[in-house]
Amino acid sequence: MFEILSSLLKYLFVTVIYLFIYGVIRLIYLDIKSASGQKFEIKKNIPYLKLINIREQFDFKVEEIYMLGKDVDMGRSAKNKIIIRDPYMSTKHARFTYKDGKYFIEDLGSTNGTFINGRDVKGTAMPLKDGDKIRVGQVDFLFVHGG
Amino acid sequence: MQKNNKIIHVLILMCTIFFSLMAYLTYFQLFTGKKMESNAFNRRQQLKEDDTKRGDIYDRNGVVLAESTNIKGKWQRKYPYGSLYSHVIGYNSEIYGRALIEQKYNSYLLDINELKSVMGISNSLLKGEKVGNNLYLTIDNKLQKLANELLGAKKGAVVAMNPKTGEILAMVSKPGFDPNNSALTEKWKELVDSEDSPFLPRAVQGLYAPGSTFKVAVAALALEQDMEDIVFDDKGIINIDGKNFSNSNKKAYGKLGLEKALVVSSNVAFSQIGVKLGEKNLRDMANRIGMEKSISFDIPLSKSVFPYESMEKTDMAAVAIGQGKMLVTPLHMAMLASSIGNNGVMMKPILVSRVVDAEGKELKKWNPEKLGNTFTADTTKKVKNMMVKVVKEGTGRSAAVKGITVAGKTGTAENEQTINGANKEHAWFIGFAPAENPQIAVAVIVEYSGGSGGTISAPIAGKIMKDYLDR
Amino acid sequence: MMKLLSLKRPVNMLVLANILAFGLLYYYKKPYDKMVLIEGLIVTGLICLSYFFIIKKNMGDGYLFLVVSMLSSLGVLMIYRLDQDRGFKQILWLVIGIGLFFMSYYLYGKVKIKDKLMFYYYAASIFLFMTTLVIGSSINGSRNWILIGGYSFQPSEIIKILFVLTIACYFKNSEQIIFNSKSVNLKWKLDNTKIISKIAFFLMVYSYIGFLVMQREWGTALLLFLIFFMVLYVFDNDIKLLLLNGAIAAIGGIGGYFFVHHIKIRVQMWLDPWADIAGKGYQITQSMFAISAGGFFGRGIGLGDPYLIPEVKTDFIFSAICEEMGVFGGIAVILLYFLLVYRGFKIALYIKDLFKKTVALGITLMFGFQTFIIIGGVIKLIPLTGITLPFISYGGSSLVSGFIALGILQALSKECYSGEEDVSDAEEQ
Repeated sequence: MFEILSSLLKYLFVTVIYLFIYGVIRLIYLDIKSASGQKFEIKKNIPYLKLINIREQFDFKVEEIYMLGKDVDMGRSAKNKIIIRDPYMSTKHARFTYKDGKYFIEDLGSTNGTFINGRDVKGTAMPLKDGDKIRVGQVDFLFVHGG
Repeated sequence: MQKNNKIIHVLILMCTIFFSLMAYLTYFQLFTGKKMESNAFNRRQQLKEDDTKRGDIYDRNGVVLAESTNIKGKWQRKYPYGSLYSHVIGYNSEIYGRALIEQKYNSYLLDINELKSVMGISNSLLKGEKVGNNLYLTIDNKLQKLANELLGAKKGAVVAMNPKTGEILAMVSKPGFDPNNSALTEKWKELVDSEDSPFLPRAVQGLYAPGSTFKVAVAALALEQDMEDIVFDDKGIINIDGKNFSNSNKKAYGKLGLEKALVVSSNVAFSQIGVKLGEKNLRDMANRIGMEKSISFDIPLSKSVFPYESMEKTDMAAVAIGQGKMLVTPLHMAMLASSIGNNGVMMKPILVSRVVDAEGKELKKWNPEKLGNTFTADTTKKVKNMMVKVVKEGTGRSAAVKGITVAGKTGTAENEQTINGANKEHAWFIGFAPAENPQIAVAVIVEYSGGSGGTISAPIAGKIMKDYLDR
Repeated sequence: MMKLLSLKRPVNMLVLANILAFGLLYYYKKPYDKMVLIEGLIVTGLICLSYFFIIKKNMGDGYLFLVVSMLSSLGVLMIYRLDQDRGFKQILWLVIGIGLFFMSYYLYGKVKIKDKLMFYYYAASIFLFMTTLVIGSSINGSRNWILIGGYSFQPSEIIKILFVLTIACYFKNSEQIIFNSKSVNLKWKLDNTKIISKIAFFLMVYSYIGFLVMQREWGTALLLFLIFFMVLYVFDNDIKLLLLNGAIAAIGGIGGYFFVHHIKIRVQMWLDPWADIAGKGYQITQSMFAISAGGFFGRGIGLGDPYLIPEVKTDFIFSAICEEMGVFGGIAVILLYFLLVYRGFKIALYIKDLFKKTVALGITLMFGFQTFIIIGGVIKLIPLTGITLPFISYGGSSLVSGFIALGILQALSKECYSGEEDVSDAEEQ
C-alpha cells in the first residue's frame, strides 16, 4: 500500500516543489519588472505614492510606485488613472489634486474610507505632506514629495 | 556604488558554484550509473534481489532444474539435481556472485528492466509481489541424467544437440560440483584449489586436440578438391619432412581410397592428404567450420584455436589428423558433426529456448538461427555415408544401435601427457543419427583416458542416441 | 476564491507539499502513526501563521521565510522517515527555531548599539571556545560538542553568527577600534592606525579560524574564511590585502594537506575513494551509490535504502534526498538554497548602512557557502567536510542558529520594503 503511494507520490511531490520554486521566481520577477520599469520615472519634485505593504500578499496587481500628476483618481474601475482591483476599494475611491503648490487627497464616497496617518478623510480634501501614510482598502502607501 | 558592483561579483560567483553543483550532479547521474550499481560494496542490488522471487529454470519439458523457495523471509536458490547442471545453469551465491546462465539471464530471472528502473516503477507495484521470470532450457533432463551416468567417474564432456535446430539436448562436463549455496560455500576453497578444475565447464571451455574426429572435415575438404578417387599405399608409417606419421599400432592397410582411409582412420593416408590440400585450403576450411571465431552462446564459449601463422608440410600433415597446435571445444565438434548431418548448414547452438513470466505468458523466444555453411550438401552427403561405414565396419562399431543407422567418427588424440608415452590419450567420438534424417548429434570426450575413442567414447554416444531415438 | 487556491501561489504549494509529506509519513509503517498527522498539522499551521504574520505586519522580505519553511519541511520529512524519534525532535527544534526567528527579529531591532559590540562578540566566542576546550566532548573526531543533561549543543553554530557580527563591526569603522561604547581614536599616525587596527583585526579573524582548526572543524573553518575573504573583497579597497589573505589560505591549505593526516586523507578520498572503499572511502562511496540508485525521479520516499549511508541524518542527508527523490529532487533543493541566497544578496545590495550591509552579506554568504561546501562534499565535487546542511540536517544547534541568522536577515530586509531606515540607526551615519 505504502509502496504504491510513495511511488506515485514521488512524481507529484517533486512537481509540487518545482511549482513552489516557480511561484517564488515568478513573484520575484514581477517585482523586478515593476521596480525597473519605474526607475526612470522618479523625477524630482513630482510626488509619488510608494507601496508600504509586501506586494505578494495581495492577489491583485499593485505597483510599488505611482507617480502623481495634477488630478489623479484612484479606484477599482478602469476609468481611474490609478487602477487597483482591491475588493475592499470602491470603484471610484479617492482623488489626488494639486492646488496652490500643495497636494490634496479627498475620499470620493468610498465604502471603506480613506485614511491619512490613521485619520479618516471624510468629505473635504486633506492636504498631503511628505511622509504621510495613506491607506485605501487594504493598501498602505507612503506619500513621497521630494520638494 | 562600487561596493554594490563587487557584491554583484560575489553573487555571480555564488551563481557559478551553485550551477556547478547542479551540473555535476546531473553529469554524475547520467554517466556513472552502471559502475555504481554493479559495485560489490553497493548492497542495494542485493537487497532488491532478496525481495524478489528469482524465476525458475526448467528443462524443455518443464522439469524444475532450479527454483527459489522462501526460507524465513528470504528467497533461497535450490538445485534439485545438484551437480548435474553445475556447468549449464551455474550458481547464484550471495558471496561468490553468479555464474553461467544464472549470470547471463539475471535480468530476466529477477525481472530487472532498463526502462522500468529509469522510471523507478517495479513489477511489484503492478502485480503486488516481486516475482522474476522463468526460463525454459532446450535441455532434456532424462538425456542429461543418462549422459552424466555414462561418463561416470571419468573426466570429460558430453554434448548432445539437435542438428537441424541447434538446440542443446544435453551438456555434461565432469567433474562438476554442487551449486546449492550451503554446499558451495562449504566446499569453495577445496573446489578452487582442486587440480581437477571442477569449475571448468569442459563442454564449452575445455580445449582439446580433436584427433581423428577432425578427419571428417578434412575428408569433406578433400572431396571438394576433387580428391574423391585418390588412392594411397598405407604401409603403417610415413615420413613427411623428417617427421613420422603412423597409424595406431603402426598397422599397415595397404592400398586404400578416401572412404576406407576414414573408416579405418588411417593417419598415413590423411597426413598425406593434408600436405596435398595445402595451407590455403586447410586454412580456408578451418575458417568455414568456425575455428578462431567467437560464437555467441548462452554461456561463455571458448574459441576453437587454429594458431598457425604459416604452415610447414609437417603442420599440414598434423592438422589433417587432428593434432598439431589445433584445439577445439567439445561443443564445437558437436556443431561440426551436426552440420554434416544437416547438409552442411551449421546452426547456432541454443541453450535457452524461451522466457516466460510468472503467469506463463511468453516474453521472449529464441528461434533456430543459421550460422553458416561448412560444406556443400553434396559433399556432406558423401561424408555422411563414409561416417555410416565407420560405425558399421570401422573404428566406431561400439556406437552402433540396433535398427538405427548411426554415422560417426572416433578419435584418439595425443596430448601433452602422451608425449611421455603413458596411456593418456583423449578418447573422442562424434556422430549423429539416424543418418538419413538426423535428429541428434553427439560429441563425447573422455580426457586422458588411455583408451581409444572407439572403446571408451563410442559406446557412450551410442547409448545416448539410442535412448533419445527410442522415445 | 479560485485565485486563492491558485497553483501559482508558493504558499499553497508549501502547504500541499506538507500535506503530501505528512500524509505519506502516516502510512509509512504499520501501525499507522496518528501522532505524525497531529505533528504535521501543528508544523504546517505554525508555518502558515508565521508566514501570514510576516506579510501582514510588513516584516520585510516575504520570500526568506517561505523558502526556509520549504527546506525545513523537507528536512523533517526525510529525518522522520529515517528515524521517528529524531524526526519528532527535529519538529520540536523547528518550532523552537521559528520562535527564535521572531525573537531574533525583534531583538535585532531593539538593540541599538549592535555595531559597537565587536569585542563583546569576540569575547563571547572566546568563551564558547574555551568551554568546549574545558568541558567539551569529541564526537566523530571533532572536539566541538557540549553535552548538557542528554542534550548536545554545538557552540560553533553560534560562533558563526558572532563572527559575522564581529567583522561587520570592523568594516563599519575601519579606522577606529571601538572599546565598549566609547570610540578610542588611535590616530597618532594615520597610516599606523590603519595598519595596527588591520593587524589586530586579522589576528582576531585568524584566531577564530585557528580555534576551529584546533577542534578539527575543517568545514566551519573553511566557511568562516570564505565569508571573511569575500567580505574583505567587497568592503576593502586594498587588493594587496586580499592577495595576502589568499596566499595565507593557500599556504594553510597546502600545509594542511602535507602535515595534517586528516586533511590528507580527506583529499585522497576525494580524488579516489575507490582505493579504500571499505575503509576511509566508505562514507563517500556509499553516498555515491545512493545518489546513483535514485535516478532522476528517485526511488520514492521510504522505498530506498538510505540507511546504508553513514551519517545520513546529518552530513549525508542530501544523498538520502537524492536517493529517494532523485536528481530532480536534489536540484530542487539546490534551487531553494539559491533562492534564499539570492534574496539575501538583494537585501545586501539595497542597504546603505555599512554595518547592516556587511551583516546581510555575511549571513547570506554563510548560508550560501555552507550549502555549497556540504553538498559539494557529499557528491564528491570537493573534498568532504563535516558541516551541516542548513535547515535540513538533523540537529537542534544547526536549526536554531539557522533561524536566528534568518531572523537577523529578516530584520535587515525590512529596509527594502518600508523605505524607512530605523531612525536611530540613521542618526549614527
